[in-house]
Amino acid sequence: MSLDSSSSSSSGDEYIEENPNSNPKMVDERFEVLTLTEPVELESNHRGDGSEIENGSLNRERNGGDEDDDRLRVENQEIFGDAGPSSPSSSGYAGERGSSSATSASRIDEASEIDDNEIREVRNDGSLEGISDSQASSWVPGKRHIDEDDASISWRKRKKHFFILSNSGKPIYSRYGDEHKLAGFSATLQAIISFVENGGDRVKLVKAGKHQVVFLVKGPIYLVCISCTEEPFESLKGQLELIYGQMILILTKSINRCFEKNPKFDMTPLLGGTDVVFSSLIHSFSWNPATFLHAYTCLPLAYATRQAAGAILQDVADSGVLFAILMCKHKVISLVGAQKASLHPDDMLLLSNFVMSSESFRTSESFSPICLPRYNPMAFLYAYVHFLDVDTYLMLLTTSSDAFYHLKDCRIRIEMVLLKSNVLSEVQRSMIDGGMRVEDLPIDPLPRFGSSPHLGQQRPPTDSPERPTEPFIGIGGPAGLWHFIYRSIYLDQYVSSEFSPPLNSPRQQKRLYRAYQRLFASMHDKGIGPHKTQFRRDENCVLLCWVTQDFELYAAFDPLADKALAIKTCNRVCQWVKDVENEIFLQGASPFSW
Amino acid sequence: MGLASIGTASEGMQLCIFDLRRGQHEGQELDKILFFFPADLPFSTQLSVIGLSEGLITFTRIFSPEAACEVIEAERHSHVFYEAEPDIWMVMVVEKSKELEAIWRIDALREVLKEIHSLFMMFHGSIRALLDKEPSGELTRAHLYPFIMDYLRACQKRSPLDECCWDFLVGKKLQLPSFRDCLKERRTVQMLTVGREAAIEVQTLVRVLELCAGNTPCSSLILFQDLLVSTTLSPEDTINLFTYAVLRLTPHALSSGASSWSYLRKGNSSSHVATVSTLAPSGSVSEQFYGSRDTSPAGDNRYRITRPLQHDKWFKGKDGFLSTDIWGMDAGSLNVTTPTVWLRQTEERMYLCAYQYRSLTLILLIPFSSILNGEQGVSIVKQQLLENILCPPIEPFALVVSACLDCKASLKILKVEEKLSKGWGGENAYHVSGYRYLLVDGNREISRASPPAKVTTLTKESLLALNRLREEVDSEKSRAKWDNPGHDKDLEVCIRAKNNAWAIARITGGKELYMVLEKANETLLYASDAVEKFSNRYCSGAFSLD
Repeated sequence: MSLDSSSSSSSGDEYIEENPNSNPKMVDERFEVLTLTEPVELESNHRGDGSEIENGSLNRERNGGDEDDDRLRVENQEIFGDAGPSSPSSSGYAGERGSSSATSASRIDEASEIDDNEIREVRNDGSLEGISDSQASSWVPGKRHIDEDDASISWRKRKKHFFILSNSGKPIYSRYGDEHKLAGFSATLQAIISFVENGGDRVKLVKAGKHQVVFLVKGPIYLVCISCTEEPFESLKGQLELIYGQMILILTKSINRCFEKNPKFDMTPLLGGTDVVFSSLIHSFSWNPATFLHAYTCLPLAYATRQAAGAILQDVADSGVLFAILMCKHKVISLVGAQKASLHPDDMLLLSNFVMSSESFRTSESFSPICLPRYNPMAFLYAYVHFLDVDTYLMLLTTSSDAFYHLKDCRIRIEMVLLKSNVLSEVQRSMIDGGMRVEDLPIDPLPRFGSSPHLGQQRPPTDSPERPTEPFIGIGGPAGLWHFIYRSIYLDQYVSSEFSPPLNSPRQQKRLYRAYQRLFASMHDKGIGPHKTQFRRDENCVLLCWVTQDFELYAAFDPLADKALAIKTCNRVCQWVKDVENEIFLQGASPFSW
Repeated sequence: MGLASIGTASEGMQLCIFDLRRGQHEGQELDKILFFFPADLPFSTQLSVIGLSEGLITFTRIFSPEAACEVIEAERHSHVFYEAEPDIWMVMVVEKSKELEAIWRIDALREVLKEIHSLFMMFHGSIRALLDKEPSGELTRAHLYPFIMDYLRACQKRSPLDECCWDFLVGKKLQLPSFRDCLKERRTVQMLTVGREAAIEVQTLVRVLELCAGNTPCSSLILFQDLLVSTTLSPEDTINLFTYAVLRLTPHALSSGASSWSYLRKGNSSSHVATVSTLAPSGSVSEQFYGSRDTSPAGDNRYRITRPLQHDKWFKGKDGFLSTDIWGMDAGSLNVTTPTVWLRQTEERMYLCAYQYRSLTLILLIPFSSILNGEQGVSIVKQQLLENILCPPIEPFALVVSACLDCKASLKILKVEEKLSKGWGGENAYHVSGYRYLLVDGNREISRASPPAKVTTLTKESLLALNRLREEVDSEKSRAKWDNPGHDKDLEVCIRAKNNAWAIARITGGKELYMVLEKANETLLYASDAVEKFSNRYCSGAFSLD
């Protein structure tokens, strides 16, 4: 299989430097063209040609060794009791949306309204703006608290800091406060790292009370996180890796050359105006499971609808486009890659974050150089980006710097087809309908053939006696099921249920998110993992995790949930996911990549 | 085993104690250092270890003023911090080795530091008090150096079967608690389970013991083998004295002598340190710096240094009392000076008298202040003790028995010893077949665990999984401590590891249960059921769900 999560977790350092022609100038120029709406002339030596990039990529062909999803086996059957449904895993869903699928407004965005912004404790001095959870601080893009520095008490009390600095101690980015005012602090971080380095070692983590200081050294770039959230070290380290990846996406790794030439090189001008990209990425660390699962998620769509979108994307991919990606917010509608090219979920996360957080992409069609750090950290690709509506955007990636007009034509074609085949209106509709809800977990796993309602939702009249979950409304799904995340290993995709009551408040949702994060880290311990099963109960909830070769299931239950019932319910969730897999997953994503 | 090849102790571990209030001026940095192991490291290296520690203590206080640096994890080393007294820090640096054996649990390493400091306090009082007494720091260094070297050299032999864990202990490698010890809990007491009848006997014995010094309120500790039977001390003082007793006083400790394993090299361990210091280029410098060497006998040099952890220094006398010359000889007589200890709870200095009858060790603590005439006074109390436990007053039945035994039979103590011996199931008394467990009662600082020999049957993978789980639990516990002080964490974790073994942790009401179940193909429900059964049967249902 192509870049799976284990190989992809290796650091960017291991990539072979592919593009000897890269030079600092290119990095400089890169910023002049950040969001130009017209094609940009770049010197030809700025980029590798397409074939070079392809050869340099770390893809391996997906091949027949991969398990077909129809063969998704339920292992550990004994653990999950005898509730194993007997229905075939292939869904007969024909793509018609049931008329009974009307649901309440989407909650997709609710999770995004959580942030680490709160100051840990509000002192009486009144100078601190403690934002209580109940206020559901709506997340504001861009950097805040610019007036703070390391002398401010409020700055010291921020729950989670991120810093990027150079190996000479020059600040490059700080989540809070003004980088220039943090020069002294930055020098301290540098001193700690180099002191340990001089002793022939490399500092990774410092713990003090609730605080963790996590260090990541990437050549001449140092990244540091100081956090008092309960996230495990592995998660924080992964977040630093993503921040580094985001920086590479903007600059390519050839930035290292600048430091080789001039250790005192000041990088801040190069990243000018990208604060908003980093702050949006950091924000996603507290709501987007893709940041720790290393998988992407799809917008639920009828199989035929997604097929239609995929077909037109495939069309343009055959005309020299490396990747064609259609997304709605952070969810994938369809995705197609040129032959042998496959896209790592982390690259997709970073790319969509870059596009969504930069306001300029929304205003007009753009053609911008970007680098996919997992694909090839040394070379720029060129991204044609166009928002088809407020949330839906098309990204066409190419290796050619003068493909703007060609890609513009492609976009016009794609847009026409999408409009004609109603894909865009289906997307809108799916946004409103939302995804899987635990309340809708089918009680009896009868195979559904033919016309099936949206995501298998069974919505009989409310007085129907066949709906035993009815009394449980407000307390989640059957057996106290609150929420689940299902990650398909072969597809590199996950599906996460919508937040249902009682997970109403952003605070509860974030707590669950953090619990999943810990559970993931615990299951995937580097030395001894992955474990097979984990059951974890504390005051807040019961978590069940089940890892097989094919999938991983993470489920949250009421803390008083019965173990045996919870296990049966997990089994039903797996069956449900399989029943609707054609709607929630992009099947055979970039089929030409393996 | 790979450990032998790792090399000298100095590469494997460093241990230092420093005082942040000292040496704050340039050129006086050495003043900070109160202890450093290995002492033959160049001062520049010592100062760099302490400099990094100090730097990170200061740095972390920016964000976490309430709790400074606890650990530094680097690629090749872990630095474990413990603030033993305000501004007095102990830092242990351990090398991570490529071999899997060198996997630690940080909290277990910190317990070693805590144990060193608590024992030191028990015998010498606080480090700060020593520094105040003699601001040059020489007195403190002179005390710390031999004490910690004795500690490192000899430790923790709670069961002869422990040794199977340490068979590979060759070379100069320090053997610190590793993942293989994840079913042990340092700084806890292991209790003997006694029947109701025996418990009553023990109670009588305790009452009799404490009457020995007349009206003076004494405290006592009774051990059977290496297990605690009774204590009238605070939990912390109990742990310290219990630890010391198991190290040096119990029949087992007395007989084991040189055969016991140690943190340093087995056998000729004392010569090892000497070798190191003579071979080292800076040996003589640091020798002066740290004052009295461990090779010098007690009581010489400028300071009178007692070395309570010294090996093979306790003997059982004919009268049944344990004696040692560690505290020196009484001037003008052949009698040895009675040891004294400081209690943490009352901050009181106590005479320590230990009496042994077969497997039974009695420790009587008499307030120092209440004995006006020194050694003579202690002798009187000892005499009284003998009389009390050997010839209980006014008990016709006992007198008869006594007569029958045709000697001054140690009646009271004999009865107790006999009862306890009968009731004890031997080394594997607390083995529960099918289970490998550790049970910790944090409220009472008590633990019970599967016998070490049984734990060794577990695979490395299972032990690693449990070790990792314990680390997770440690961090959740520490987090709960900050978020919710005084509120006990409630947690249940069951992990089925890659090798199909279950690693289980249950925390509730201050009690902790850790378990490994290795039978393959067990389901989660089966594992939960097994825990439930164990809880009902052996923990009075403390971990049962209903």
